[in-house]
Amino acid sequence: MNMATTNLPAAPPARSRNLLVATGFGIAGTLMYFGGIFGVYLRERAQVRSSGGSWIPDKAHIELTPPGMIIWTLLISVAVIQWAVYSIKRDDRQHALLAVGTTLLMGAMVLVQHGWQLSQMNLVADEGPTTAATLIYTIVGSYMVAFVIAMIFVALMGFRALAGQYSSRQTDGIVAASLYWYSLVFIYFIIWIAVFIAK
Amino acid sequence: MTENQTETESNAADSASGPLEIGGLAGVFGTSDHKNLGRLYILFGLSGGMFALILNVLVRFERINIGSVGVLDFGSSNQFFQTWSLSRTSLLFFCVLPLLIGLATYLVPLQVGAPALSFPRAAALAFWTWLIGILIHVVTVFADGGLGEPDPTSQFAQGMDPEATELSMLSIAMVVFGLLLATVCILATIISQRPQGMTLFELPLFSWSILVAGGIWVLALPVWLSNLAISWVDFQGGDALRYGAVENIWDQLSWLWSQPMVFAFAIPLLGIAGDIVPVSAGVSQRQYRVQQIAIGALGGLSFGAFAQPFFNPDVTNQAVFVIMGLLVLVPILAFLGGLADTSIKGSPSISAHLILSMVGMLALLVGAGASAFYVSGPAVGAIQEIDDSWLDGLISWLRDVQGTVLATAVMDHVLIGAVIGSIAGIYFWAPKLFGYKLNRNAGMLAALALLGGLVLAGGSNIINGILDEGDEVFRSSAYDGVWDSGAVEFLNVVGGIGSILLLAGLGLVLVDITISVFLQKGDAEDVNDPWGGHTLEWATDSPPPIGNFDQPPVVENERPLLSPVAAGGDEL
Repeated sequence: MNMATTNLPAAPPARSRNLLVATGFGIAGTLMYFGGIFGVYLRERAQVRSSGGSWIPDKAHIELTPPGMIIWTLLISVAVIQWAVYSIKRDDRQHALLAVGTTLLMGAMVLVQHGWQLSQMNLVADEGPTTAATLIYTIVGSYMVAFVIAMIFVALMGFRALAGQYSSRQTDGIVAASLYWYSLVFIYFIIWIAVFIAK
Repeated sequence: MTENQTETESNAADSASGPLEIGGLAGVFGTSDHKNLGRLYILFGLSGGMFALILNVLVRFERINIGSVGVLDFGSSNQFFQTWSLSRTSLLFFCVLPLLIGLATYLVPLQVGAPALSFPRAAALAFWTWLIGILIHVVTVFADGGLGEPDPTSQFAQGMDPEATELSMLSIAMVVFGLLLATVCILATIISQRPQGMTLFELPLFSWSILVAGGIWVLALPVWLSNLAISWVDFQGGDALRYGAVENIWDQLSWLWSQPMVFAFAIPLLGIAGDIVPVSAGVSQRQYRVQQIAIGALGGLSFGAFAQPFFNPDVTNQAVFVIMGLLVLVPILAFLGGLADTSIKGSPSISAHLILSMVGMLALLVGAGASAFYVSGPAVGAIQEIDDSWLDGLISWLRDVQGTVLATAVMDHVLIGAVIGSIAGIYFWAPKLFGYKLNRNAGMLAALALLGGLVLAGGSNIINGILDEGDEVFRSSAYDGVWDSGAVEFLNVVGGIGSILLLAGLGLVLVDITISVFLQKGDAEDVNDPWGGHTLEWATDSPPPIGNFDQPPVVENERPLLSPVAAGGDEL
């Protein structure tokens, strides 16, 4: 046995993973929230279709280009926010902040694309309210709210990193923000498939 | 010794003896200390319980008809529905959950040896979000809002207000968001702030039950919020198609007060009883791991977000629902068996908290029994292949009880059982919470009143369910086809008396807290560890100082304070 190592002081207690744990519960809650809406959406759509009805109003314009752009933007943002995690783990705060800023910029782009898509869908203007319109507005609206929360979370962690709170010794904040971001990208992937592709 | 010195020492002695120090308005509004937040939750939760039980009395009185004359007449089914639904939302969101979260906010950091709650500012935000939300909700219901109407044709004729209804939905979402945020803070504390040597399986049973219950709440309440969001979006603009139609709103939300979901709000009752009984018996809990598994199993069997009759009308006849309804008895019986085993091994000292915890467990057991009865029709129907005509008749009769006040009986027993369990916890931990013991005799009397009230109020609903009184008592059709209207009317009088007894029992607890704590008439002697507690919260002063412990505790088992002699007989 190497006596030099046995004489070293004891390792400090493992640091608290409060933020990661809380983010895990937050992600679970968010997934259940959207799971609840998806459950209603898929069930109601199946019932309408099985009775021979049309789910999406005939005069609605649900095109694939905006959701396609959104999903690609989100997929790229996954790589970008992972770049923030990679950088903060190497004490490269400059690139971490650059990545956080870029992620927020992409988030803003996603919100703009959502807004544009909602204005173009014409879900209720011509045919009045439908159950499909109600559920699609609930899904997209809820997603936009969750996304704004994610952007605030990322921005807050970015500011904390800027203040020196996060480094290679403590990366929890950036990692937690990135995990929440990934979960929202996953949720949008479901929206993209279930609502826009499968219609 | 100078006069100033004497005064300073006297103040220090007062502080050490532990009277409740609110610290003025700044201390109340600005606090993020888990102990202050816990006390605030508990006091508002008890007040909310009084409010919910007053509404419950009004609902019970409306159900009483003497001859052809009603004792109380709300004027319309809509007005009756507002009171009925508010009594349910108040009981759950204004009483049961805040009481449990209040106890957990105060005690969990102490039980796991943490200096503070995780995210104290978020916990404070959660409390104020909850409180403001519930106040807005109550006001909007009284302003002709509420969570829908059973009779939309007369909605506007009766002055119902769509804007108030919309605000009712938003405010109740705010309430649930606040409760969820508080739950996440508690769960993060349990998982990340345990001291060295304490694994999850060495958590005290109360903290373990909060971990299980909180996990279920975090998974199920967002689904309920999604139902609410869909209703709210559809409700916008006054052209609601289905989900936001006033006659449908409550139907989408009611699963939270129905089995199996309602059992999730009583899980911490097991933890409270599991902490009280071994301490009262003076021995360690027998079969500790089995008790933990029983609590976990109750959690698994209470996840009811899938059981939404509005979207799946046949769900109460489906296998998963029926099996969960039957099996929910098993963990409760197993847990009670463990408590009985521990009591037999030790020599329990009779106390108010022990009696209250047993009354709460009894209520939960009866609720689980009623739940099993509720699903017995489909359960027997599953073996219909061996039938003959009499079995068909039996199955038909058993299925019929599903639309009756038996469902209310399940809810009453489970939620009021949770309230009684919380009161048991308040009596047990009062020295730690307030620095004073509560009055033993007052606690005993409250236990008696609550037990009597539950037997009369809940029991009358069970029998009226068998007599086929409909569950939607705000509709006149609820009384169509009852077997014996005279018996139903008599039992509703009995239920009314029971609801008054429940109110009296809770009122007595509030009076006791007022006298013992706020008027400082309670026993403040030996409050640090008056019962010979087994868990870490009893290792510090009462009330605990800032930071809770002088040194971070190191523990090796789930009852670090129990003497090795008393713990020696444990088998796990």
